[in-house]
Formats: sequence, C-alpha cells, structure tokens
Amino acid sequence: MRAIVRWGVVVGVLAVALGIWGLAPQAQTQVFRVCSDIAWPPFEWVDAKGEFVGFDLDVMRIIAILKGYKITIQNLGFDSIIPAVQAGQCDIGASGFTITEERKKVVDFSDPYWESNQSVLVRADSGLNIITAFKPGNKIGAQRGTTGAQWVEDNVIKQGIAVELKLYETYPLAEQDLINKQLHAVVEDEPAAKVAVKASKGVLKIVGIIMTEERFGFLVRKGDPLKLLPRINDGMKEMKKKSIWNNLVEAYFGVDVNLERITQCWADLKGWLDKNQPEAYAENLAACMAGESYKKP
Amino acid sequence: MKWEQLCQGLAEEGFLRLACDIAPRLIQGTATTFQLTMLAIGLGLAGGILLALGRVYGNKLIYWVSTAYVQFVRGTPVLVQLFLIYYGLPTFEIRLDSLTAAIIGLGLNSAAYQAEYFRGAIQSISRGQMLAARAIGMTNLQAIRYVILPQALRIVIPPWSNELIYTLKYSSVAFIIGAPELMATGQIIASRNFRYFEVFLIVAFIYLVCVLIISKLLDIAEQKLKIPGLEMR
Repeated sequence: MRAIVRWGVVVGVLAVALGIWGLAPQAQTQVFRVCSDIAWPPFEWVDAKGEFVGFDLDVMRIIAILKGYKITIQNLGFDSIIPAVQAGQCDIGASGFTITEERKKVVDFSDPYWESNQSVLVRADSGLNIITAFKPGNKIGAQRGTTGAQWVEDNVIKQGIAVELKLYETYPLAEQDLINKQLHAVVEDEPAAKVAVKASKGVLKIVGIIMTEERFGFLVRKGDPLKLLPRINDGMKEMKKKSIWNNLVEAYFGVDVNLERITQCWADLKGWLDKNQPEAYAENLAACMAGESYKKP
Repeated sequence: MKWEQLCQGLAEEGFLRLACDIAPRLIQGTATTFQLTMLAIGLGLAGGILLALGRVYGNKLIYWVSTAYVQFVRGTPVLVQLFLIYYGLPTFEIRLDSLTAAIIGLGLNSAAYQAEYFRGAIQSISRGQMLAARAIGMTNLQAIRYVILPQALRIVIPPWSNELIYTLKYSSVAFIIGAPELMATGQIIASRNFRYFEVFLIVAFIYLVCVLIISKLLDIAEQKLKIPGLEMR
C-alpha cells in the first residue's frame, strides 16, 4: 500500500511539473495564434515532413513579417475554428472561410481575399452529370460547417429534392468516400476540387460549377479586441502593391496545380521567409512552380 | 399542433427556444445512439462470452486465437479500428454504411473488453464445482451451461454495467465516420448556429440521463436475478 502511495506521489509531482513547464511565459514579441483546418489544399495542407503549407498560411506568415508580429499555426477541425476564435483560444481563423451573414453575427471578417464557386465532384466512371448527381436518394458528401454543405441543405434538400447529405470531418475524407463508391458526389470549393481531381489521377472529375460567388476572408473575434483586422487588411494591400500577392496566386492556383511540386518548391524556398524577405520568397516560388530557374535562400 | 409552433411561444434567441428548436433532431440522434449502443453491446456480449470461454477452457489453438484477438483490440484505439473498417475495407470491395460500420466496430471492440469481464467471473468460480459436475456425469459443455455460466453471469453484472455505460458514451466517436448519432447531430447543429456551449450542454445532459436510466435498470436486474443464499467464496 505504501509503495502505491509513494508512486502516486511521484507521478503526481511529475504531472504538475510538466503542466507548469507548459505554462512557462512565452517570448516578448507579440505572438498571435492562427488556427486553420490544415487538410484543404491548395489553401492549407500538411506535407510529408509534417510542415504546414498553403496559400492561406503563407499570406498569414507574410503579413506577420510585414507588420512585425509573430504567429504560431494550430491545426484545428474546420467547424471548431469559429468557436475557438469566439472563446479566445485562437486569434485569427485562416482556413478559406467564406464570408456569410450567419458567421458575421459571431465573428469579424477581414477584407475579402479570394472569390470562389462551389463545384460538383463525381467519379469519372460514374457517368453522372450536374443534374443526375442530385437525383433524389443519392448520397452527397461535404465537410461539416462549410458553405458547400450549406448549399446542399438550402438549395437541394430544402427545395424538396431528397438527397442524403453526408457530412465529414474533412474534405479529403469525403473525397476518399467518393472514390470508395460510398457517395455519388461531393460539393466543395472549386480550387480544392481541382486539386482533388489532380491528386486522384483521373478517378474523379468536376461535372459542374455552381456560381455561388463566395468571398473568403480571415476572421477574428467579434469587435477585434487585438486590433488585428487593420493589420491584416493593410498587410494584404502591401502584398498586392509589392506584387507578392500575384506571385503567390500564380504559384498556388496556376494552371498546373501540383501538390508534390509545390511542396518541393516550398521546402526549397521557405528560408526566404525565415530571413524576413517575402518578396524574394514569392518571386522564386512562382518561378519554381513555372519550371523556371529560381534562387534558393 | 406542430412542434415548431410549440416553440414559437418561447423567447427568440433564448436557451429554452434553442432547446425546443433542436429537440426533434437531438431525439432522433439519441435514438440512433441507442440503436448503435444496443446492437454493439449485443454483438459484444455474444462475442465476449465465446472469447472468455475460449480463453478459459479452449485448447491451445482456441486459447491462442482468442487471446490474440483480445490483445489486438484492446491494444489499438477504437478510432483507428473504425477508420480501418469504414475507410479501409472498401479496398477489398467491402462497403458498409457508416452506422453498420460503427455497430460492427464498437461491437468487436466491446467483445474484447467483455471477454475479460467474463473470464474474471468464470475463473472466480472454484475449480471444485467443475470437477464435481464432471464427477456426476455431466459433459464439459453441460457443466459450463448449467453450473458455471449461471453463476458467472450473475457475478459479472456490476462490472458489465460499466461496459454498457462505456459503450454508450464511446458510441459518440462514431461521428467521425459520419454515423448520425447524438454527438454528430450536436456538431452539425452547432456548426450552423455557432452556439457550441449551449448545444453541447444539452447533448451532455442527454447522455447523462441515458446513463442514469441504464444504471438504474441494471441495478434492478441485479436485484431481480439475485439468488438468496448463494455467495461466492
């Protein structure tokens, strides 16, 4: 019995020590927590080495350099990000969020930075088109909490077409289920759908675009208590002025979206960001993606 | 009168209004959770008894197979098992819908745990009883069926109640493969109205009520099945 008590004390002390160590004060410069659901290329994904890559994240990193603060990036489930921002667990949500009236009630958005439409993804061998994909009884997949899911609810199910909407933790899981023939179609934003088609090596295809004309924004806590929005909006303007923006867009959304290639280019060039030179970074990233010669940092 | 009209009387944006509005969907989710739990625990019960008998009375091969199964299932997270069943099996052209996959996954998982509860109960019955049963001419199977199991099943009720409650609560992980149970329903609702705290408070309350009801029923069953004078030594 005494031995048990003794071991219990040892374990307890260790646990408390670890806890205190975890709470140790952080560095002095302002550090903001950026939260993202890092499973949605080309906006954000995790590469083979476990690094967080993607357009949203690069924009966040570059604005931080331009505006003189630091960020840490946290990987969170998409539908957990808004509650985390509301609760102050995250300072910025950067995960391809469409600006919607529903979301605007609970968080504040930056200026829009991207426009997107929803696309309908099916298996290439299924022979479905944009009409037959939504036949009553068909199973349609989407990620929980996204505007894609909302579109199916509002414009298909509520219009009386009884499709079965299946909601997933992430879009890649929905795409996997589509490939596994458990779904008839997946509804998701066009840029991500294009990457999925490319990655599936011809198994999936896009059969139609739904012109939802959504605009993406970065989001912060209601009322912006940390005064982040002016810095983000300003930062985006500065990026556009210095043509960093164009180069990034070209690199991530160019004609030939290729995840392996961009992961390689990113690994070669991220050193420029560590050296606080976002212009050189974006220029070389675009060059690398275009297959031109580029300069490593 | 329709349910929606009933809710109209409550203050807009208030907690009661929210609870009233989402009640029908949560009740449906709760029904699915119950279905999932009961089928999984049933599958686990059948599997668990067989595995326990295999581990106590089986020959070398049966012992080895059932032990390997128990160790594999207890040694891997239930989430990993669900992913293997739902996203892995289609590789072999086996396609299960998410609810079926969840029932099978949780059932196979529960079988391993129940096997250990049953094994403990069986082994707590003195060897002498088995020998005595054999001595009066019962076969091994008869001895298990008429002497060992009636006692073991009674002993196992208290620990087994734990397993039932665990399975009910564990069934919430099935949301990850899209089974429309209570947790998934709560998440879908909250991802649309962003009232996470209130929605999950209600979800937690429903789980709590379910667990309390189940514990009470098991208490009653334990009392009813008690044999006066039978004590284990």
